[in-house]
Amino acid sequence: MNSKYLTVTAITRYLKAKFDSDENLREVFLKGEISNIKYHTTGHIYFSIKDENSKINAIMFSSSAKKLLFRPVDGSKVLVTGRIAIYEATGGYQIYVDEMIEDGVGNLYIAFEKLKQDLAREGLFDQKYKKQIPKIPERVGVVTAKTGAAIKDIISTIKRRYPICEVILFPSLVQGESAKEDIVRNIRLAQNYDLDVLIVGRGGGSIEDLWPFNEEIVARAIFDCKIPVISAVGHEIDFTIADYVADLRAPTPTGAAEMAVPNISDLINYINNLKIRLNESMNKKINYQKLYLDSIKNSYALKNPLIMYENKKQKLDILIDNLSKVLVKKYDKAKHNFEIIKNSYVLTNPDIIYKDKQIKLNNLIEKLELVNPLAVLRRGYSLTILDDKVINSIDKIKVGSKLTVKLHNGEFDATVNKVKENKND
Amino acid sequence: MTKEKEKTFEEKLKELETIVNELESGDIDLDSSIEKYTNAMKLVKECDEKLKNVEEKVSKIVTDNGTLEDFNVE
Repeated sequence: MNSKYLTVTAITRYLKAKFDSDENLREVFLKGEISNIKYHTTGHIYFSIKDENSKINAIMFSSSAKKLLFRPVDGSKVLVTGRIAIYEATGGYQIYVDEMIEDGVGNLYIAFEKLKQDLAREGLFDQKYKKQIPKIPERVGVVTAKTGAAIKDIISTIKRRYPICEVILFPSLVQGESAKEDIVRNIRLAQNYDLDVLIVGRGGGSIEDLWPFNEEIVARAIFDCKIPVISAVGHEIDFTIADYVADLRAPTPTGAAEMAVPNISDLINYINNLKIRLNESMNKKINYQKLYLDSIKNSYALKNPLIMYENKKQKLDILIDNLSKVLVKKYDKAKHNFEIIKNSYVLTNPDIIYKDKQIKLNNLIEKLELVNPLAVLRRGYSLTILDDKVINSIDKIKVGSKLTVKLHNGEFDATVNKVKENKND
Repeated sequence: MTKEKEKTFEEKLKELETIVNELESGDIDLDSSIEKYTNAMKLVKECDEKLKNVEEKVSKIVTDNGTLEDFNVE
């Protein structure tokens, strides 16, 4: 009956599943001493962690190993965080390490992380509070120890790069219990010295040595400092709270000095370059204006001023010509009209008007003569008048009527004897 | 009216840069160009002198009573 026997793979998988489902094994905090450490070319680190009685195998993959702040060696006392799982191929359990720090600084590390988080939450690291570091300072302050590499490096770097800058040292304790108060006091003091920038830092050392720069009062003093602050604590890999709160973090004291001052020869070159640009742009401008002036000077009008005058004169002449032509024309026309009138028939034969009238008058006289009753009388006719009226009908006359009869050269009275009416009228 | 504080080197350099850029842009008339050019050359001279003629500054240390003393690192 083979069925009750499991394969090795099966039991290993069973155990692996047990491990994987155990919440306690997913995030394990472990302390111990490193032994048998091997750095693999892939970047992974293989080692054991042991204490007096036990030992556990450990692996740290390169992705986590890259974040290590120290180089663990056999015998290093460490604090690790990771998960415990079974590796099927060997059937052994091991811890997969995510983070590892040196033991003994463990409490400090926790304090560091907590303060960093608190101050970050408060906004002390916010970019908006970062002051601009002046490019060309006249006075640089340094808060660091009076002796040691840091101040030496800072002063020699500044002298080399920008010797005309004044350096003022605020000698300070930079390690030990009372260092934090001393650093704070000097940062505050520095603000009375008309500085353009302040370097705060120290040279390399153990994490305990650097610790004053992880103190909250130092962080707040840097934050409150009115002068822009460059932090310069330890080496490249050392990050302190002071670095986060400073306006600029320098990897080393030498680096801080390089950031604080420009290189004088660069500056001289730059100013020379500005001078060249200045002259070039001015020359360009003047040349342009010169060319423009020349083009005006050489213009046709300025070169031949008489032309302008002659043109105008010619125009005037034409106008005068035109004017006289118009006047002559008007005069001629008026004269012509006058001639016509003067030579008219009526004016040349004025008596025609008179003669004409004479003939008309004679005709009228003749016509008048025709109707003149006296003319009729002269031919032997007479007018019969009764009561001062000319009688033209027999009915107005009765026997006995007293009539007056007018002839062309006199008249006489008569009395009617007999009346005889013409029957055919 | 208080007397205007003398411009710092950095302010002078900044002013100089501004003038050079203005002149290079070519938007200003000749008269103001000349004025600006004269002003800029003065700034160039001042900056040059500052960089070349000033003696190396001696480092100082603040003493316990707050005064400054020369400081030499050995």
